[in-house]
Amino acid sequence: MNDSRISGFLAYKNSRYFKFVSALVILAILSDALLPVGWESFGGTWLGYTLGIISALIVLLLMGYGVAKRRGGFIKDTNVAGFRLRSTLQGWLSSHVYMGTGLIILATLHSGFQFGWNVHTLSYILMLLATISGFYGAYVYLRYPQLISQNMGDETLTGLRRKIAECDEVAREHALGLPDEINVLVTTARKETRLGGSLLHQLRGYQGSCPTSFAVNQLPVLAKKYTEISQTKLMRDLYTVLLQKEKLVLRARREIMLKARMQFWLYLHVPLSIALLAALFAHVVAILFYW
Amino acid sequence: MIIRLLVKISRNQWGQIINRERVVSGESISLGRGADCSIRLPDHRVALHHATVRQSPDGALYIEAERNATLKVQGIDERKVLLTPGMGVEIGPYELLVDPASTIDKVMLSVEAKQTHVYTPVAVEPVTLADLNIDKRKWGLILAAVILAVYLLLPMLFSFVTPLVKWQSTLPVTVLGAWSPGPMAQSHSVFGANCASCHEHAFTPVADIACEQCHKQVGKHLTDENLHGSLFKGMRCTECHVEHKGGDVTTRKDTSTCVACHGDIKAKYPKSNVPNVHTFSKDHPPFRVTLSNDPNGRPLLRVLPGQPMVETPRLKYSHQVHLDKKGISSPQGDTVMVCQDCHKLDAGGNHFLPMTMKQTCQQSGCHGMDYAEPAEGEVPHGSEKEAMGRLREYYVKWLAETPSGMSDCENKDATADPIKQILYCAGELARKNASVSLFGKNLGCSECHELEPSGNADSPWKVVPLQINHNWHANSVFPHAKHKMTECAACHDKANSTSSADVAMPTIEKCRECHVDNRPAKNKVFSSCVSCHRFHGGIEVAKP
Repeated sequence: MNDSRISGFLAYKNSRYFKFVSALVILAILSDALLPVGWESFGGTWLGYTLGIISALIVLLLMGYGVAKRRGGFIKDTNVAGFRLRSTLQGWLSSHVYMGTGLIILATLHSGFQFGWNVHTLSYILMLLATISGFYGAYVYLRYPQLISQNMGDETLTGLRRKIAECDEVAREHALGLPDEINVLVTTARKETRLGGSLLHQLRGYQGSCPTSFAVNQLPVLAKKYTEISQTKLMRDLYTVLLQKEKLVLRARREIMLKARMQFWLYLHVPLSIALLAALFAHVVAILFYW
Repeated sequence: MIIRLLVKISRNQWGQIINRERVVSGESISLGRGADCSIRLPDHRVALHHATVRQSPDGALYIEAERNATLKVQGIDERKVLLTPGMGVEIGPYELLVDPASTIDKVMLSVEAKQTHVYTPVAVEPVTLADLNIDKRKWGLILAAVILAVYLLLPMLFSFVTPLVKWQSTLPVTVLGAWSPGPMAQSHSVFGANCASCHEHAFTPVADIACEQCHKQVGKHLTDENLHGSLFKGMRCTECHVEHKGGDVTTRKDTSTCVACHGDIKAKYPKSNVPNVHTFSKDHPPFRVTLSNDPNGRPLLRVLPGQPMVETPRLKYSHQVHLDKKGISSPQGDTVMVCQDCHKLDAGGNHFLPMTMKQTCQQSGCHGMDYAEPAEGEVPHGSEKEAMGRLREYYVKWLAETPSGMSDCENKDATADPIKQILYCAGELARKNASVSLFGKNLGCSECHELEPSGNADSPWKVVPLQINHNWHANSVFPHAKHKMTECAACHDKANSTSSADVAMPTIEKCRECHVDNRPAKNKVFSSCVSCHRFHGGIEVAKP
């Protein structure tokens, strides 16, 4: 794992946000643990309201990260009561990750472990889902760039696709002089081999019954079947080309898969976060409406 | 028969115009992408051996597709096509056209690749999530809109529109249930989805008046209403009673609210003489026993342990005799008695039913009140006058049957009416004999009761009223029913008690053997203030 990346946002400013959130969480846990036994733990106690307000503010702060990211307003200096505050992308991200992690504990204590089929538990579940998807995001952000580099090196997906097309053409030409069965195999491998596709295809990163892999497996079988034909070299060349193509296809698919997985969590994180904000609003209104 | 074809290839598979002509001859002419074909059509869409041109016996040329291959004429699949002038046949991307100027001797076949081969990359499909054009924010906004509609607008609508409130109460799932943080306590479940029963005004905390609409008889903490009002000013029912937590009751079980005042009671009420308390196990004051030794109904005394406890129940009773393990003599023979034979729990499970002569002492035929001195009969229990009256009746009857008994009377009036004589004598005999039997020392009534002169001529003795204590801890509740697993003697050591004046109430140390305060401890029972005390019990604050 790239240590500099970790130190980039996890250990930002000597783990400033980790320490702050840890202190907050420990304080909350101690407050809850030191309450008298038999204390009715729920959101309506003084501790419950305090934790609820803190949790709601954290949610707004976490949402603020998304807004700031879209506006690109990360790096700026602000004067707050005479103090010069400098916000950076890493700072925002570091606080976003740690605040989100701490939110799970604070909101759980706020709930007092009282759950039901209501808007309050809905908010809690959405918070959990948004946070868990965020954890996955942090993981892929740390882990996947390395995997992508290992897979692609200096190659690009466009380059891979061009090389695959070249292999297809060479294979097509080789197959022109070979029996129809082999020609069909090569044509199918050319026409039906898929890179990417729907969301599921991209995330899966493989094609069930891949025609190229099928052709690679079948060609030796057909070579034995057509032993009488004299184009042994042609067959061997075709096999080599198909093998080369298969490797390229697998690399391209892995590239697509890794990129998709690296981006996909946001397709959950963002809608869930917006839904959480709505549920949180409904939760607060419901509580105050029937106080 | 040799076929001769003039083949003109006008455009190859790459779309290049080449216009190359050559003559092809043979008994049959093969077409396909194979190198051994007479007319080679190099394209992967053409079979290795696709078709063959042959000549029919009448000299006409036709083209016939090989197995697994097809020919197309104007888009229709054909197996065999006659090559007449102007006829066009498609094989894969190629079009074979018989020149209209052809004759039976000289057939010219034009071959042209109509669909040129394009060098296409691998199938173009979305390769990034961005290519799928999924709008993250749009989906989030849709979700948010659904949540706000279902969980905010709909419950609000059902809160304000009365017919909807009534209608939803008939449904198995209520819309307002989406706002309810938890199930109602069993006793409040009657309100169902009618939230306004307690939450009378939106955005306003539940007021005490909402509770008091039903709980009209709930007592104050202090009997002095003015003092209660000043000490608990601003305090709401919901501070101690928490709803939407399910269960049987709404009372909070923690001690914090009680300790907030009783931890430093003088800060709250300087005139208080109640000791401070924080926890049951550490600084709860020793139990003070309420005695019933004041026959005039003055305030009951509360005595601290170590101080002499004098209880005057005015009953002669020995627990030692009755609880003798060898048994006690009864009409059924020697019977071993247990505490529960006399002390029976009431329905509430906290206190015991009052003991009576008939129900308790005369059970199993014990403590009968038969009289035979010498008139015979049963004397009623409960009233000295009734007992003496019944006694006189027995003597009247006895004197009527036994006239010689009149000789025992001292003040005889020979001139009086015989009936009056009997009545007079019966009264005299009853008084005389009762003084040594029924009301004699340690006989009859005085076996159990203390007697004193009444000043009444007909019944000169009276039983001193009993003062049986029913509530030793007036300001607390002890659920005896919940302690059934414990033997009575574990807390009340009465086995060797020979006097009913003996007090056998346990001290706080006895309770602490099992009970701990509101923190869990191994092999201890969790106890909070409300385990024993009732806030609404109406405590009488001692006057300074």
